[in-house]
Amino acid sequence: MIAYVSVGLLGLLTLSIPVGIVLFLLGFGVDAFFSPFPLIKGLGNLVWSTSNNATLIAIPFFVMLGEILVRSGVATRTYAALDRWVSWLPGGLVHANIATATMFSATSGSSVATAATVATVAMPQAEKLGYDPKLFSGAIAAGGTLGIMIPPSINLIVYGFLTQTSIPRLFLAGLVPGLALAFGFMLITMLICMIRPSLGGARRVFPLREMLRALVNLVPIILLFTIIIGTIYKGWATPTEAAAVGVAGAIVIAAFFGGVSLQMFADSILGTVKITSMIMLVVIGASFLNFTLASAGLGRELQDFLGGLGLTPLNTILVVVCIYIVLGFFIETLSLMVVTIPIIVPLVVEQGYDPIWFGILMIVLIEMALITPPVGLNLYVVQGARKSGKMSEVMLGAIPYVIAMLLMVAALIAFPQIALMLPDALQ
Amino acid sequence: MPQQLLTLLRKVNHWVAIAIGVLLLTCAAVVLLDIVMRQVGHSLGGTDEISGYVMAIASSWGMGYALLELGHVRIDLLRGRVGQLGRSVFDLFAMVVLSGTITLIAIRAWPVLERSLDNSSRANTPLETPLALVQTPWFLGWVWFAIVAWLTFAAALMLVLRGEFAQSEQAIGTFGEEESTI
Repeated sequence: MIAYVSVGLLGLLTLSIPVGIVLFLLGFGVDAFFSPFPLIKGLGNLVWSTSNNATLIAIPFFVMLGEILVRSGVATRTYAALDRWVSWLPGGLVHANIATATMFSATSGSSVATAATVATVAMPQAEKLGYDPKLFSGAIAAGGTLGIMIPPSINLIVYGFLTQTSIPRLFLAGLVPGLALAFGFMLITMLICMIRPSLGGARRVFPLREMLRALVNLVPIILLFTIIIGTIYKGWATPTEAAAVGVAGAIVIAAFFGGVSLQMFADSILGTVKITSMIMLVVIGASFLNFTLASAGLGRELQDFLGGLGLTPLNTILVVVCIYIVLGFFIETLSLMVVTIPIIVPLVVEQGYDPIWFGILMIVLIEMALITPPVGLNLYVVQGARKSGKMSEVMLGAIPYVIAMLLMVAALIAFPQIALMLPDALQ
Repeated sequence: MPQQLLTLLRKVNHWVAIAIGVLLLTCAAVVLLDIVMRQVGHSLGGTDEISGYVMAIASSWGMGYALLELGHVRIDLLRGRVGQLGRSVFDLFAMVVLSGTITLIAIRAWPVLERSLDNSSRANTPLETPLALVQTPWFLGWVWFAIVAWLTFAAALMLVLRGEFAQSEQAIGTFGEEESTI
């Protein structure tokens, strides 16, 4: 059954059938060939119970929050403000790229939106100030991936939903590794620019007064992030409630900066519906496949499979990491995550690993998938916003950041506490 | 004729999507109100339940819009390497499979609603919501998605048969990579 699902999955995906539909088809197949009783009778109920879910409504809320912030011009202000604060470092504006991506991912929960926003705002600056296009665009692509790690993360909501793990705990677990990655990116940039100063462009120091004035543009976003995360951790609000607060906060911030208009609302709504529906088709498909696999006895088969391989838990994790790196060349974020969860997560948990910790490890691997060619979504997004130069420049520029991610993967495996420290401390 | 059909489908789904968005915004407002009321000690109660229903209805009705906006993720590995005719074959095949699967889901969704109608079931919650009230729009959303999918497929097939590959690709192709996923 494991072989059937894996081969079927790759085969059907290659035929470029929509990912959500592939998951349904595999579920039908498992039902027809491996289940002693007809599971398809449960399809209607499963679709109803999966989508009738108060936790999942956090997804459209968080998407809408990001859409409103991006479409009302808040991103541009954030970038300009962060430029004042971090451009004195070796590497200059490159740090502003990473920092803006970090701040936006901290509120919007979407990697591609983050990369697209920063790329659009930052690219004209790069040409004006004479930056090396490789490093500059690579940093945007990499910084944009933080969107799925730093809470609130839509991918972590989906992971929590499909694996029945606590979303607040996942959010907490993602905070330290997410920030560590952001700092790691900045550190690597500094190192590169200290060795080859020509890559970094001019360092600029702004007067303190100007820096303080720029804070006005940063405070609202920081406040919004603190409110969303704070209320969840304090137990005052569920992730869904915090997301609703976030939408209201985004509207207030947009209004404060004069970015509210009917057009902005319409665009944000349409973007939200499109992204949410895309996510929901994949999520419903994955829960149907999950259900058929579990009913057909995947657990037992996995135990036999692992027993036969005789791998130690550590070896299993290393194999899993390799699988994600290879699949990550071709498949993207949410799809990669959702199609692998039904098989990989039970396998890892079976070996005694914490599903919260594994969720975070998986997110780092999926972030890597976003910036590894030939299919690396953020690379294309940044290239799309550049409108000149070669694709290969972005790919080359992303390599240092891929290395940072690999180091993060190793660190997470060696010291699981990096992820588990916060959720354990605050429990 | 196929172009008019696609334009019509896009126009209708545009307004469907706007309606869903307004529904979601309203739901967010109700959740907010509940948080505020709770602080004063008068919880509205049942917002979780309402959010669940809104999510079910929003996700079934939004699918058709996402389809026409080429929002449903596809992996472009082989498809991107073949010529225009080959791409159209991939696209049409994917659309048939999608339309068939969605039709099956819609058919299987009916018994869920039928049972609620027959038994006049109410949710096992403080609100005691009549389930048919929320399951009817949910079910119709899937039916709508199936209808949109088949009509889009028919329009695209006509375009391909006429040799208008570029137009067909606009309707059922894959988006520029940047738009296809989060």
